[in-house]
Amino acid sequence: MDLDIQISNLPPGALPAPHPPSQPYGEHRSAHTPLVIDNGSTHLRWGFATSAHPFTGLNAVAKYKERRTNKPLLLFGDAIDSESGAKGQTRTPWEGDVLLGFDALENALDYALVHLGIDTPTVDHPVIMTERLCTPLHSRGLTSELMFELYQVPRLTYAVDGVMSFYQNNLPPPSSTFASDGLVLSFNTHSTSVIPILQGKGVMSHVQRIPWGSAQASEYLLKRIQLKYPNFPTRVTPLQTNWMLRTLCEFTPSYPSLLKSLSPRTLASGAPHPLSSITRIIQFPYLLPPPTAMPTEEELVAQAEKRREQGRRLQEIAAEKRKEKMESNERDLEELTALREERGELREKEWLGKLAKAGFDNEAELEDTIKKLDTWVKKARKKEAGEVTDDPMEEPSFPLVDVPDEELDEEGLKEKKKQRLLKSGWEFRVKTKREKEREREEREAEARREEEERNEDLEGWAKKLRGQQEKLMGKIKDRERRKNALGDRKSAAAQARMKNIANLAADDRVPKKKRKTGGEDTFGADDADWQIYRKINITAPSSDEEDDFNTLQAIESKLLQHDPTFNTSHTHASLSSQSSLLLSTFKPPLNESDVAAHAQIALNTERFRVPQVWFEPGMAGVDTAGLGEVIQNALGRFSHGERRRLVSNVFLTGGPSQIPGLQETLHATLRPMLDPEMDVGIVRAVDCSSDAWKGMAGYARTEGI
Amino acid sequence: MPPKGVPRKKGPSDGAATPQGPSLAEQLSYLNNPRPFKNPYYNKNVNRRAKNLKTVLTQEREKDRLRREALRQARAERTANGMDIDDGEDEEELNYSSIEAPPSVLPQRHYCDITGLEAPYTDPATGLRYHDKSVYALIQGLSPNVVKDYLSARGVNSIVK
Repeated sequence: MDLDIQISNLPPGALPAPHPPSQPYGEHRSAHTPLVIDNGSTHLRWGFATSAHPFTGLNAVAKYKERRTNKPLLLFGDAIDSESGAKGQTRTPWEGDVLLGFDALENALDYALVHLGIDTPTVDHPVIMTERLCTPLHSRGLTSELMFELYQVPRLTYAVDGVMSFYQNNLPPPSSTFASDGLVLSFNTHSTSVIPILQGKGVMSHVQRIPWGSAQASEYLLKRIQLKYPNFPTRVTPLQTNWMLRTLCEFTPSYPSLLKSLSPRTLASGAPHPLSSITRIIQFPYLLPPPTAMPTEEELVAQAEKRREQGRRLQEIAAEKRKEKMESNERDLEELTALREERGELREKEWLGKLAKAGFDNEAELEDTIKKLDTWVKKARKKEAGEVTDDPMEEPSFPLVDVPDEELDEEGLKEKKKQRLLKSGWEFRVKTKREKEREREEREAEARREEEERNEDLEGWAKKLRGQQEKLMGKIKDRERRKNALGDRKSAAAQARMKNIANLAADDRVPKKKRKTGGEDTFGADDADWQIYRKINITAPSSDEEDDFNTLQAIESKLLQHDPTFNTSHTHASLSSQSSLLLSTFKPPLNESDVAAHAQIALNTERFRVPQVWFEPGMAGVDTAGLGEVIQNALGRFSHGERRRLVSNVFLTGGPSQIPGLQETLHATLRPMLDPEMDVGIVRAVDCSSDAWKGMAGYARTEGI
Repeated sequence: MPPKGVPRKKGPSDGAATPQGPSLAEQLSYLNNPRPFKNPYYNKNVNRRAKNLKTVLTQEREKDRLRREALRQARAERTANGMDIDDGEDEEELNYSSIEAPPSVLPQRHYCDITGLEAPYTDPATGLRYHDKSVYALIQGLSPNVVKDYLSARGVNSIVK
């Protein structure tokens, strides 16, 4: 299944650098050049109207006191990245889509003005700024207050960024007025707006706004990734999902047909699931485990050699020890036999004395030891000679056991007891040996019978075994189902269990009938009562399960061996752990040893699902109409002729409009709602991010300074 | 190069310790830059608390409502006085909340909560939508927390009964 699934790496973070210096302020001092500020949710763009490009910075401010040197710092935009502690103190002027953080706004504007080098007591330039579509009065009021009271600008104009971007891209020739028509779709960070423009004027009464933008989209993508990979080792940040959104996500003209193509009814065996054609894998940074001391070939050979050497040495030592023992035993045997022979010549006392010296209490012991040594030596010699004999133990005699007690003296009694114990032990051993042999014979007989059966009628035998296997699997499944049912608090099984417990614990456990006749609690008299333990205690592992599993395994191994039609896919293990091709393509299963794979994320349907939310916000739980419906509503309020003019120039602007596939999708969405003879023309801004600023700059220049 | 006007931070002037240059963060900080353009007499309303979004929006709505009522009253007075009725008055309430898109009237399509493909089926126990029986087998094995997460990703915030 080796497909070329692209693996992309995350972009490395860049160190923040200070902004390039602006032009010297001298030329603008007392020139009243208009100051153009695009106050966006993500980026702040500023510059004089005479510049061709704005300066851009992330619209965020952080006031941070450095730990080590205790110096307070004020950082703007990307510079926040330079100090890790500052990130926690970031404040943005925008809270979602509304301007609420005026301290942050003040600091941001300060930075912009300082960067431009303004050093006059007041900001002596007319200012043109952006604001949100139909911004709340509070926001506008405070911004105006900031501008007029704090910075004392002479004039202030507000503009909507989408409209300005439209202006920039439909610049009229220098002498005439701006009179283009079009439908502006402005994709901002926290919202998307639809603004119809007729005769160069925005028809503000018919605008609509969808509360879904790139910020919400990256959040949604992050949520989907977290659901798909709950145990992912590294943290995925919103910045990374933003990057994924920009580079990997796409719009598709018809989402339902894409989905249909991804869920085929039948798959050619061995063919990969169509999901893999849209899968992209992202590799996150991961740590390599320390290199295990994998011995190389030579090292392995050397180790084997060493081990063999050791074995040989040990064998030699053992052989030596055996020889020594043999020799010492033989010597002892000789001595003792010599001693025994001496017996005949000595007198009683001397004999006992000699025995005592040798370490024996009486003659019987001496005889015993001699006999033992003798047999040992004989056996050892035989073993050395290479024969392994399995002497049946000669039946030891226990003469004293049969003698009645009265005839024996004290010593005799002791002897008798000893002999009785020995006898019973010996008999027991003989009995068990015989039983074992019998069992073995039985088993062999059965195996033979089975083999005969198999040989005559393979199918019948296989069928019988398969029946057994299925029954066992059924039993295991039942048990599992029962366990699951008990886990659910409200199931019938769980309620029955609670009833049982309540019955047991009840104070009056006696059934009514018995109580009348004076009976008492008879729990336990019936053997079946004790089964209650099994019913109540669901977590105890029961030995039945293990037995079942073992028998199942035995049956399966026999089947595998002899039945040609039964293969590993029919075994219980593989049946229970089957996961479909769909799921294994959707989220590739992890290979234990592949460390890199543990830090990979595979995105397939998410790549199209997240942008689709722009057209179907219900997918993400946002209860508004999608882009298509909103455009339809907006167009519906115009006359036929106006609609034609609007639709011929649909204008896309804003950062998220750069996600590939948007134009085709819009076309596919709009085409069915309009009359066939209307042309649908969709245009994207030349520079989706900065065109708003450029439009404002252009407008400021024509305003007349 | 740091922005214009920032005083260059010098290291310690004695030659004993190695002079440590300003860190990157210090270089980029503009806390001490002169800001002559600010009006020193402007005293911000320091007691002003930053309003949050909810209060701002409700304030808007209140204001609009009052304005509309005033207009209606004026119009009622005018008609009562027999003056010509201004029919051109367009009573649009155009504010931030009003231009938000209305709920969708199109039939919602069901998508699988796990895989993202189409979902013709819904699991009655959990409420999750699924694509086929292998996904259903997966759903059955999910713990209640995970089920809740999946549902909230769709916007369904179920409350435990």
